[in-house]
Formats: sequence, C-alpha cells, structure tokens
Amino acid sequence: MRSFQPFSQQGFARILAETRTHFPLSPGLISIEQLKSIDGYSAFFNFPFPPTYSDMEINEYSLEWNLPEKKKDKALFTSFTLSSQPFYPSYISCNISSDDFTNYVETFISLPEQHKQIFTLPLSWIDSPFIDEVIKKDVSLIVLTGLPSLFNNQRKLTEALVSIRTKLPPDIALYLPGHISPEIYSFLVYTGIDFFDNSIAYFTSKKGYFLTSKGTFSLQNHPSCYCKDCMSSPPNIFGHNEMILKNNLAEIRFALNSGTLRSLVEQDIHNSVTFAAALRQIDRNYSSAFRLRTPVLSSSPIKCIGEESLFRPEITEFRERVKNRFVPDSNSKIIVLLPCSARKPYSFSRSHMFFRKAVKEGIGKFRSILSELIITSPLAVVPRELESIYPAKSYDIPVAGLWNNEEIEVTSSLLLEILSKYSSDTTIINHTYGEGYSNIIETIRTEIPNRILSTSQESSPTSNESLSNLTLALKEIVSDSQNVQIQGRPTIMKHLQAVADYQFGRGVGKKLFSGIIKIKGKYPRDRQIFREKEHIANLRSTDGFLTILPQHAQEIVSLSYNNLEFGDERVSGSNIYAPGCLNADKRIHPNDDILVVFNNQVIATGTAVVSGEDMNNMTSGILARVKKKHKVKK
Amino acid sequence: MKINKSLAEEILKIRESTLPTRKHSRKVTHWKENHRLRSGEGEALVFILPTKGCSWALAKSGGCSICGYIYDNPQESNFDMIVSSIKNTLRRTIEEGKFSIKVFTSGSFLDERELPLEIQTSIIQEIAKYDQIEEVVLESRPEYITDKILQNLAKNIEMSKIEIAIGLESANNRILKNSINKGFFWEDFEKSAIRVLSSGAKVKPYLLFKPPFVSEYDSIKDVLQSVSKVVSLGIDTVSINAMSIHRGTLLSEVFEEKLYRSPWLWSLHVICKEIKQKYPEIRIICDIVAGGKERGAHNCGTCDSEIIRKIQKFTLTQNIDELEEEMLCNCKEEWKSFLVLEKINISDYLHVPYLEK
Repeated sequence: MRSFQPFSQQGFARILAETRTHFPLSPGLISIEQLKSIDGYSAFFNFPFPPTYSDMEINEYSLEWNLPEKKKDKALFTSFTLSSQPFYPSYISCNISSDDFTNYVETFISLPEQHKQIFTLPLSWIDSPFIDEVIKKDVSLIVLTGLPSLFNNQRKLTEALVSIRTKLPPDIALYLPGHISPEIYSFLVYTGIDFFDNSIAYFTSKKGYFLTSKGTFSLQNHPSCYCKDCMSSPPNIFGHNEMILKNNLAEIRFALNSGTLRSLVEQDIHNSVTFAAALRQIDRNYSSAFRLRTPVLSSSPIKCIGEESLFRPEITEFRERVKNRFVPDSNSKIIVLLPCSARKPYSFSRSHMFFRKAVKEGIGKFRSILSELIITSPLAVVPRELESIYPAKSYDIPVAGLWNNEEIEVTSSLLLEILSKYSSDTTIINHTYGEGYSNIIETIRTEIPNRILSTSQESSPTSNESLSNLTLALKEIVSDSQNVQIQGRPTIMKHLQAVADYQFGRGVGKKLFSGIIKIKGKYPRDRQIFREKEHIANLRSTDGFLTILPQHAQEIVSLSYNNLEFGDERVSGSNIYAPGCLNADKRIHPNDDILVVFNNQVIATGTAVVSGEDMNNMTSGILARVKKKHKVKK
Repeated sequence: MKINKSLAEEILKIRESTLPTRKHSRKVTHWKENHRLRSGEGEALVFILPTKGCSWALAKSGGCSICGYIYDNPQESNFDMIVSSIKNTLRRTIEEGKFSIKVFTSGSFLDERELPLEIQTSIIQEIAKYDQIEEVVLESRPEYITDKILQNLAKNIEMSKIEIAIGLESANNRILKNSINKGFFWEDFEKSAIRVLSSGAKVKPYLLFKPPFVSEYDSIKDVLQSVSKVVSLGIDTVSINAMSIHRGTLLSEVFEEKLYRSPWLWSLHVICKEIKQKYPEIRIICDIVAGGKERGAHNCGTCDSEIIRKIQKFTLTQNIDELEEEMLCNCKEEWKSFLVLEKINISDYLHVPYLEK
C-alpha cells in the first residue's frame, strides 16, 4: 500500500493526500532541517547534524511528515527513511555508473518494507527498465536528481518530465530537490512534480538575493515588501524568502482545488522564455497525455489570454469531441454561422437575442431544419446544442477582432470537418463580419460544394441591415424549396442528444432520448428529464452535463466510453478502490460520470477521481466516488 | 576487482591528453616550515624530488581521479643531481633544534622504478648523519613497502625515526574503487601498515576529505570512520587532507561543469574537533592546500582566513581549545543547508539557473 493517494487531477498535477487520513500533503514544500516553526511545510528532513562519532551507526535519515497531531496515529506512515542512495550522481555517464545503479536497485528491492518508501532516481536512469521493478514495490516518493541541468533545454526537459510521469502511477510522488525558483513551481507541478524544498531560501538569503513570486532580485535593488520579516530591523531576508516559497505553493494548491491551475501556469510561464517554450512543446507533442488527465466536466472559468490557450487540454479535447462525437440532425437544411458573444451561454447575450428574433421571423415554424454553429476562438466551432456545457459556457477571451494564422487554421479545419457531416445540399448562411471571419469562410469556400450566402458582409451582424438580410435569406430558402414538408427533431431533443454524445460517447444520445421527452424544473435548479413519463436523468445547471440514473444507464452500457469494470456484483461503501477495478476505459477523464459495470450490468454510477489510464496503473487508493447504486428488487 | 573499469578509462583519457605537456627536467625544490613533531613543536624541511613520478599515475589504469601531481614531475630524472642537491641543502639548513625531514617525490619514495634502491640508500645515509633530525617522512603506496625495502632502511637509519606516509585516502573500499581509482583496498594498506609498525617505524595515513561523487556530509562520516579504523591498527598520526582541485584531472572536469564544490572549512573544523574529542592521543595534521581559494577548501570568503588560522594553530599545538573559540559567521547556516541538500541530491545543487541571468 502506498502512502499517498491522488485527489483531483489536472494534467500531471495532483493533490496527493495521506492514504489513511486523507490529509493533503502535495504539492508541498520540504524543509531541509527541523525549523522552529514548520507551518506551511509538508515535511522536514531529520538528519543528525553535524555527523559525529555517536551517530556513526545510523545509516538512515528520515523525512518526517507534517501531519496534525490528531491524525498521526491513524496515518500509514508519519515518516520515511532515506536508507540508501545510488553512489554516482546523475551527471556521471551511464557506462561508469551502470553497475552501481543495478546494485542500488537490487539493494533497494531487498530492503524491508518500511524502508522502501523513498527511491532516488538520477536523471540519466529515467528510461531504465529497472524502474518498473521498483514501481511494483510500494515505493511512495521518488527523488528525481539531475533535472535542473535541463532547465535551459526545453525539449529535453519536457521529454524527461513526460517520460517519467507517464511511467509512474499517479500515487507515487516526485520530489525535485535543489534550488528551484518559485516562479516556475506552477509549471513543474503541472508536469507532475509534487515536492520542492526550501534550500533556495538558504542559498539566496546568504548570497543577497530577494525572492518574489515574479522573479529573483538582488538585495540592493528589489521591489519593496511590507511583510513582517522585511519590516523588522534588520530585515529577516530568510524569513521573507521562505514565505514566498510557501505562498507560491499555497497559491498552486488553491488553483488545483478550484480547477484553475492551467490558467496559473499560463500566467507564470511568462516569467521565463524557456518555460514558455516548454509549455508549447508539451501542448504540441504530448497533448494527449495531458488531455486524458484534464477534467472535461468542470465549472471553473477558463481565461484564454495568451497564445498558449489555443491548445489548452480542455479546449483541444472540446474540439476533438465536437469533431468525433457531434452528430448533426440529418434533417438540417440550413446552417447559420454566427459570431460568438462575450456573455455565456451565447443565447443569454444581447446580440444572440437579436439573431434569434431575426431567425424566428425568417424561418417561422420550420425551426427544426436549422442548425446554428457559433464560430469562436479558441474553441473554433460551438454547435448551438453544446453552448451550455463546459468549456463553451465558461471561457473568456480578450476580443480585438484580430485572428492570428494559427487560430484561422484551427477554426477553419474544424469547421470543414463539421460541415462535411451535413448533406451537400444544405445551404450555409454566413452571418459573421470582419476580416478574421471572412478569412475562415474564404478558406472553406473552395473545399465544400455547399451554397454559401453572406448576410452580414457590409456591416456588423447586429445592425438592422444585416439582421433583415438574415431574415430575408431564410424566408427565401424556406419558401422556394421542398423542405417545407420535413419535420425535424425539437430543439430540446437535439440539445440533450448532443450533450449525451459529448459526455458518454457517440450514439448514446439517440439511444437514451427518443420518444416523448419532457423537462421539468427551472434554472438554477437541476432539471429533471422524463421519457415516457419516467424519470431517467437530470441536467445539471452547474456544468450543463447529465446525471443518468443507474437503472437507465444499463441502456447505454455498450455504447458508453466511461465504463469501469468492477470485480464484484455489489459495491459496498461509497468509494471504488483500486483493487476492485478490473479494467477502466482509457477514455475516462477525472471528474467524469462513470458507469460501474459487473458482467455487463451497471451496478452503480460514480464520479471518477483520476483518469482511466491511471486507474489501471494504481494498486491502492480511491479511483472513483459512488454516486448512486442500482438497487435490484429481489 | 579493485578497479572500476569504466571510471579508469575515463581518467586515462584525460591523463593521456595532459601528460605530454610535462617538462623534461627540473631541480630539487625544498622549503622550511613550522611543524608539529611527536616531541613537540619544531621545524620541517621539505624536499620535492624530481623523479619521473608515481608509477600508478603513469600506468594504464590512469591513476587517481583527483591527482595532478604527476604533471609537475619531469619526464626524465638525474639521480646524481638529486643526491648532491639534498646533501648541500641539509648542510646549509640544519641548525640547532628539532627537525623533521620530509622527502616527497609526488610518487612513492620506496618504489624502485622511481628511485633505484642505491639512490634511496644514499639519501637516507645523508639524512642519518644529522642527530637534530628526529623524524624522516617518506611517502609510498603500500605495494612498495616490502620486507626487503624495510630491511634496507633499517641498515642505514634508526627505524623509530622513520615515518612512512601512505595515501590511504579512505578506509572504505567502495570510495577507493569507485571515486578515487586508487588501485588498492583497505586490506592492502592494513598489511603494509602492520609490516611497517612491526619494523619499528611509524605510519602516517593520509585521509582525503571530500573525494568526488561523495557528498560532503558522507565524507565527514567517512573520515571519522576511517580514523577509527586506522587507530585500531595502533597508528598514532593521521593527516586530514581537504580536497584541492588539480588541473588535468577528472575532478577538475567535474568542477568546471559546476558539479563539485570544494569542501567547506566548517566541515574541517568539525572533523578536527570530533576526532580530537574521541581520540585525544592522536596527532592530527590538517594542512589546508589552497585554503580560501575556489579550488581549495573555502567558506564564504569573509571568515576563511580566520578559520584557516585556527586550524593551523590547532595542528601545531594539538590543543582542542584552539577550535573551541566562538567564531560565528552567518555562512554557517548556508553550510548546514548545503550539506543536507548535497546529501539528498549530489549533483546539481550548484545549478541555479534563475540567479544567473
């Protein structure tokens, strides 16, 4: 059993809690000595200092965890021993140290259980097959040495970080010892580092450096600070620097709890060119590893400010799912392309109210043959049906009417994918205005056979002129075609089906929502969905997603991407633990609504704590929380 | 196996590129210094003989990872010049008082390939002429200390005056093999030391503080452990040598990559104090080479000279009170954090990318 278990995952960042007491310890700071006050630290090293003859026999140094007194009796371990280490440091070439490292791994594996908590891994051995042996043991903390030497090489840095973290299950913590500047903590946490130490505070304070969360300054010239340590005379620089480290980690923990870590990372990397480049490397080359571990179901706001935001995992995931899971209604004959609005969901905005009015006037009772697609950066294309789910309902972007080439490329390629799902006789009405939008339309015009009308070429889409153009164009299409006979699905049906497909997998919506569907309840309450007068699901108002009742989840079990195979016919307790999981679908994201399945029977519904990939790798700890069990009448 | 093959190869590469730069000939160097003899304070006369150098350093296994003395040795040596030069210097220098003579070759005095047996004999004979000379210090690797060599010495000089200094460096075979490439183990030293002691001569082991790849914290422990092992053989003197970085060595390359920090003077201070407290009878010699410099033992720069002076005085008087005095520089805090951090992570504690911009 490992000492940690992950709660709340965002990319490789996790909150790790002590396994028995659930007391959160990571991301955290380790003190290299036992300070008078260890508030704000997760642990401290307990070394005899300086070494003397009297402690000559002691070959172990311990790492004491800062758990509250009350919890100490219940905890699995309150301290770890650092019993041995490889002899050669990470900078030594592999052929010199190969015997030594083999030796170390062998010694480590032969140690008694309570001494096997900390494993030291030099950077040069990251790809070694020995590590798999070590992971099989109950090691809880890996000390990663040698990484800072890559801090000027973003390609190797990201490669190393991703390769180590994909190899490790999420319940093994990584400790990066050394002088790590606090401004890059958030990036490193995001890529999977859990612990840092306060050694930089000792080092900088003596050398005359002043830390701030934005960078390091010399003591002669630094921004003024009015903290208690700086105002005392003489100023206590160590105290100040130490506080900056603690505060930075506290900020990261807060962001992890509120689901906004990625935004914090995007802010922080702007302090360093290397790390800004490193984040782009990650988004470009290792996107899927991060996407799988990023919640899709969330309600935290997304601020898309920098260029990096175009490739945020939740946004890339949205585009992928729209591309792969969104199925337009086969009866659609008209597509209206609309600009986005600042207010979310779009329908609540003033501009979209105008559009709605103009559309209603034009299309009359044939609403169901109309599809609306909202063109926006960085989500690219949001079908009207998906406007009220995360992230479409909670992103924000600074609008200056300028689109860069990358945005245009991403948006037009997704738009093409979606338009090709419609039949080729569908008419496209482009009701957008501005250079960026017209670039996108020009790009797709040559690629598709559909007729494209523009109704807002001359002036802003909310102007009277454009709105009446829209109404006229719609009227014309409706009156001169044979479409008039066709009856499509009602809007609410389209909406529910699209959300279900997005959330559980393609085809789920059609299976679940057919026949007579009624919705009860009003915003801001969760709405109840009735099919043939039977309550089958709820539509949550927090994030716009569905909660399916377990007895009806059985209908979609063969289609769902969110299944966890359980090893027993009954779930006892309110959590699913790692030993009970036979296999989890790799497409499960943390926070997802999952179906707990035994022998193809849904026995419960739950909420995932970690991603499906990680569920399969974990050997202990909570994988998911049970929401509702399926009670079978005997 | 007493050698780590891959380490030896690495050292040999560096050695081969630097060795050709050696000079062809050199003179005998000598100087006088204050010294702690067994009988009390006195003076020492040090000779450095220009032999062709340490056979181990010239061997195919590359020699020690830390030693660059070989680059000061000439490629050829003139033995007649050496003997006559010693003779003249002794005549001019030895006056009233107590003297210790140290004859160093930057290799092994007792190695016949370095100094033929008859040259060794004539040098010893010259020294034996002076009664003021109470101690004669000769350096050698343990493998050259044979019964034949010892008997030859005994013929020419009173054995109780002879002190054979052996560069043991550490009593830990793992360190000898994997970080120093010393080529012998503790057991070899033990055998030779017993042989020397039973012949009536003394042994002075050199212990190296902070070899490469060993953290400073562990190295303090290693020195203490080595001292207790050495003392158990009946040896009464130890020389603690803090690492100084020689050019043309593996260590120097590591240092230039900013992956090694030369030892702290605070650590030396702690070591001397700890040994003296545990073994008050033992003579501790701690001469600091390049003290206060970046390539030698140093602290923060402000307290270096004060602490070096104190350790020097302690070596001379062997009085532990010299170390007891209150001296607190605030770099002691940094030293403490350095030791712990380096112990956890003996690699990139010196890399601080964000302070360098």
